[in-house]
Amino acid sequence: MSETPVNTAVPAKRKLSIKPHSRADRVFYGLARGASIGAIVLVVLILVFLLMRSGATFGQQGIGFVLGNTWNGSVNPPVLQIGPMLWGSILIAIIGVLFAVPMSIATAYFIEFMAAKPIAKVATVIVDLLAAIPSIVIGLWGLIVFTPVAAGWAKALHSVLGFIPIFGNATGNYVGSPFIAGWIVAVMIVPIITSVTREIFSQMDRDIINASIALGASKHTSFFKVILPTGSGGIVGGVLLGLGRALGETVAIYFVLNLSFNINWGQVLENRGGSVASLILSKFGEATTQEISGLMAAGLVLFVITLVVNWVAAWIVNLAQPWRR
Amino acid sequence: MDPGNLPQLPRPATEPWRNLSLPRRIARNLGHGDWPLLIGSLLLTAFVGALLVSVIWSVLEAGFKAMSWQFISQNNVYITPTTSLDFGGVGHAVLGTVLIVGLATVITVPLGVLVAVYLTETREKPRNTVRTLVQAMSGLPSVVSGLFIYSALIVGLHIHYGGWLGSLALIPLMLPTVTRVAEEALRLVPMELRNGALALGAPAYRAFLQVTMPAAKSGLITALILGIARVIGETAPLLLTVNYANNTVFDMSQPMASLPTYIFQYLGGSYDTALARAWGAALIVLVLVAVLFTAARLVSRGKRARKRKSAAKA
Repeated sequence: MSETPVNTAVPAKRKLSIKPHSRADRVFYGLARGASIGAIVLVVLILVFLLMRSGATFGQQGIGFVLGNTWNGSVNPPVLQIGPMLWGSILIAIIGVLFAVPMSIATAYFIEFMAAKPIAKVATVIVDLLAAIPSIVIGLWGLIVFTPVAAGWAKALHSVLGFIPIFGNATGNYVGSPFIAGWIVAVMIVPIITSVTREIFSQMDRDIINASIALGASKHTSFFKVILPTGSGGIVGGVLLGLGRALGETVAIYFVLNLSFNINWGQVLENRGGSVASLILSKFGEATTQEISGLMAAGLVLFVITLVVNWVAAWIVNLAQPWRR
Repeated sequence: MDPGNLPQLPRPATEPWRNLSLPRRIARNLGHGDWPLLIGSLLLTAFVGALLVSVIWSVLEAGFKAMSWQFISQNNVYITPTTSLDFGGVGHAVLGTVLIVGLATVITVPLGVLVAVYLTETREKPRNTVRTLVQAMSGLPSVVSGLFIYSALIVGLHIHYGGWLGSLALIPLMLPTVTRVAEEALRLVPMELRNGALALGAPAYRAFLQVTMPAAKSGLITALILGIARVIGETAPLLLTVNYANNTVFDMSQPMASLPTYIFQYLGGSYDTALARAWGAALIVLVLVAVLFTAARLVSRGKRARKRKSAAKA
């Protein structure tokens, strides 16, 4: 009598799949497929349309569109250049991320490693709540409540560190600066970065943290030498997600920032700055057809930058969170 | 020995730290160089909390000053930025927000859920592409979405400003949220449940409608609620596509008011009465968002509580 080999006694688990059999099934799957195609078409439509409409501007303005610093729709041909706005968007996003990252990582660390469970739960709800506040409300708060406070901070910063060029301010006017807009953006992206970081921290292998403690590392050391490096991939992804949101922010910045085509390279405390999204909002009302094409081009540039940032972010977050696949 | 004279031994402490004072209790858990981490983390967390409290408190404080029944119910006809708060209100804007967001929801939620079905229930190849593209849409700046509708339909086809255009502009903003949450919800339904239904001879669509979907019901409702919460405060797309109105408008082909654009309208001026109106409308928006989020939490928590109960029974 021959023995049955063990590996054939327990057959390998079959891969099950659902195949549509009836017409109703085909309709059901067809609907789902149709919806997906619809979603793809929507994205492609927006992209193609933006491309078509902004083509004229790109052709006419050339590379000067993103580098130059004049916007004049009343001359013929119009000069439409968004350099200061584009740089302003990037500058504000960078400032916002610089403020938001320490706050977010600290909050995530507090929630995951420090707080007792009930407190951690409350903190999580609070962070989620912060994410839910519409940007117009943040804008209102930023304009009326926060701007005077932050202007005070800016003044103090200038009086202490004013000798460093980026903290210089020749006008003495501290309102409407990229510094304040950066703070507003930070308030809006803290919840995004926090929730991604918290997720990373909570799924992290506790053994390596315990191992570092067992080797005699203090919590401080194990945070900076073990937890942060291990989670850095995911955190960078979260930061990029926040950056994407920061670049597209419109109304809140529109209220707290003084839009100016006089390019502000880095004097973050001076009351002039730029933002592509806010530019669109401020110009579309009385724009000529050509100016609208220019605004579309600005929107396209913004969309493409955000897309790239978001894709890189999603890719990194995915790499860093293998358990989500 | 007399048992009464036994020396009173201290009870062995099962949790020795309970006898320590709070600072020592904290200190006991800390190594040599932990203080910077502790202090830094606590301070920054507290700062985040302070920012949130500041936002909520300013809205509550200033918003309640404007609040009255007439502020909620009346519209904005004959109201100027200096009119006393005894007249006029945001009734028309609440109606506009409900109609615009409602129409967007009616279109987007079925679409988003169907995309989620495609992502979870089928094994087709392009799923990853679809997922990536839908998530890419979440990076679409809201003003660009509005500009798209403005340029394509209002400038391109000479359609007049109208509420339904606002709904269209909200779709690309709402779709990624709905799809992502619905996908997570459907993914949580155990495969065995679906296979069981199929093994009993149910066609795929009935297995989905009668087994998978009911099992994921709370998650799908959460998707609906979070989708609404995502777009209810959107301002820029509505400014570009819906424009303003001061009277109560039911016709969605006409310019309408909405709460975010109402705030925008009154934030421009610097009169106290105008700002009070903006704060009042902000309070209403915030209350709406809070109600939606509490609902989402209750829906998902109810599900978990039921699960726990049934697990305990088993």
